[in-house]
Amino acid sequence: MRLTQKKVLTKVHVLFLVQSCLIGTGILQIPQKLSAMGYSQAFMPLFFALIATINLWPMLWLNSKFPNNNLFQINEILLGKTIGKFINFLLIILFTIVCIDAISSYMLLIQSTALPEQTITFPIICFLALLIYLVRGGIFTIARFSIMAFFITLPMVLLTKWAIQKGEFSHFFPLFNFTLQEFYEASKNGYLSFLGYELILFYYPYIIQQKSAFKYATIGIWISGVLMLITTGVSVMYFSEWQLSNIEYAVLNIFKAGEYSFIERIDIIGMTLWIFLVYSTVALYLWAANEGFKTLILPKSQIHLYILVISIFIMLILPISKYLKMKIFTINNYIFYLLLLWPIFLILIYLFRKKQVHQ
Amino acid sequence: MNIRLLLIFLLLFVAGCSEQGKKIPIEEIDMIGIMAFDYVDEKIKKLTVAIPQYSKEAEKDTMVYSVETDLVSQGIVKIEAQSDRKVVLNQLRVILVSEEFARKGHVRSIVEHIYRNAEVGNKALIAVVKGRADSILYAEYPDKPNINFYLNDLLRPSFNTAFNPNTNVHDFIYATTNLTKDASVPYLELLDDKVEITNIALFKEDVMVETISPNESVYIQALLGKKSIAPLVIEMPKDTKISLNLVKSKFKIESNKDKHQPKLTIHIQMKATLSEYNIEHLDKLNTWKEISHLEKSINRQVEKDIKAFIERLNKQQIDPIGLSEYFRKYTYGKWTRAMTDKVLSKLELDVNVKTIIVNVGTLK
Repeated sequence: MRLTQKKVLTKVHVLFLVQSCLIGTGILQIPQKLSAMGYSQAFMPLFFALIATINLWPMLWLNSKFPNNNLFQINEILLGKTIGKFINFLLIILFTIVCIDAISSYMLLIQSTALPEQTITFPIICFLALLIYLVRGGIFTIARFSIMAFFITLPMVLLTKWAIQKGEFSHFFPLFNFTLQEFYEASKNGYLSFLGYELILFYYPYIIQQKSAFKYATIGIWISGVLMLITTGVSVMYFSEWQLSNIEYAVLNIFKAGEYSFIERIDIIGMTLWIFLVYSTVALYLWAANEGFKTLILPKSQIHLYILVISIFIMLILPISKYLKMKIFTINNYIFYLLLLWPIFLILIYLFRKKQVHQ
Repeated sequence: MNIRLLLIFLLLFVAGCSEQGKKIPIEEIDMIGIMAFDYVDEKIKKLTVAIPQYSKEAEKDTMVYSVETDLVSQGIVKIEAQSDRKVVLNQLRVILVSEEFARKGHVRSIVEHIYRNAEVGNKALIAVVKGRADSILYAEYPDKPNINFYLNDLLRPSFNTAFNPNTNVHDFIYATTNLTKDASVPYLELLDDKVEITNIALFKEDVMVETISPNESVYIQALLGKKSIAPLVIEMPKDTKISLNLVKSKFKIESNKDKHQPKLTIHIQMKATLSEYNIEHLDKLNTWKEISHLEKSINRQVEKDIKAFIERLNKQQIDPIGLSEYFRKYTYGKWTRAMTDKVLSKLELDVNVKTIIVNVGTLK
């Protein structure tokens, strides 16, 4: 095992890295994704947070056995060079597609609300340029950016007050009014919005106090869980069931309920501020992809990040039909569920090959 | 380092190379303020729009365009062909529909189109017009600044028109898609050079079915939890008429949780000041005894009014208050519109009103 990496992340950094990576563009759509459950979706984020906390445990256990290696290196150690490299290659593609998904869904939103009469090529270039800057700063910069993004965007919670005033509290009742089928459908679609915490597998080696990582990562998960709970709760109060399943960006419509005498379209302010959240998510995924790419070829070079960003750009502006894109993203998302179980698989291999590994 | 700074500085000038003509300057945009829809036949509707005219050289302050179309957006394109500027919907404030259009059940589709359009805020107000909707846009209002401002201000919430449900795009979609609620929309009439909110139109799902008087609508608003309620005029037997200014009204609805034999108990507590009265054989209310006697007769009368009113709505199975919600929230499984109708037709009502007159003014 090598001891080359510099440890930079404090406890607070871990908390906010986990927290802001969870809230990306997913939270915008979570009421629609959960709509199979109708009004009973309100408390699902708490359930998701619980699952995430349980899921976090094997990840950190695995990491604690390899305190100086990220998942890419662990893959190679446990599965051997060839299989490990192949898996890493898949992971890089997976993360790159997540970046493309997040950026394209945000850009689509921006295009349909803020810039309806422009193409989004120029905004994408600006976005990616800043993204390169952020990712080149390393995990430390991303962590600090996440903290900033959290505090800048947190006041947006207040913008839900009009929707709460108008909403009907009785929609929460009857509690737990759903069938297993609906529950399965909603969990399958909705849990994707709750991904992001699994990246701790990759920045764990950078954490200074690795023992307390679980505690702070859990706090991060639950902060996001509560924020999502507010989103789904307000949506359930403010919308009818038809609206829940038909409105794509529920948060946008919740912001639309508000009005100040001097600002009429609060939703546009909300949507543009949202870019902070998108950055903190995309930057972390891209950083992870970049780290993995480095373990594959030319570990000393700086070129990996540029290759990734250029391929993201090409994928974003290629005239691929929306249908095909959605298909790719959906398949990608299901593979992601495998990634969540991957640490458990690795733990099993670790237990079998314990002696070999430690030699 | 200096070269980098220079490059960043030079980047500022790149803005000059951006494609001109893509963004249209605001002076060259016509912003639709009011849209009016009239029924032509099942497919075609007549779309009339009012756009504020800011040019001082024009004689009138409003441009009105009218086209017949089947799709709303196609209608906008046709209007653009008549207008000298680009027509956008960003400033849409009011949507008028004619009574015929509403009774045929076409409102939902156009409102849904506007709801989908991200350019339009969700706060455009909806109103039904007696007769033709475009007549309001073509009429002259010599003492009003501009039809765009006039209609918007008329339909916006104000104290004395608290009976007005102020239905905006979101509210309408919410109420029509909600299984336990129906939409209510202000009903306008054109009187010479004024527009008046004479009634409230009630919808059942997508179709307008009935109008009710403002005084009855006050009860709906009170039961929906609106805090400031318009002056309430109560007509009692023996030519007695009383006007109350509600200071505070509280309500509580209790349900027996049984959707097969539904029963609701409505408790209303009104704290009000007596603003005006017209009671036979009585010039003045002198003692608190008389006032408390009056309170009791008000209670009886309001109970009777509300009960009769809600029962009339229930007979037609319209639910603007959302009374069936009090049964849905205790029912497991899927709720359907048929269940709402069933609950309404069977609903038994018990109304308890408690009036407290807090003062009668400063005159003895």
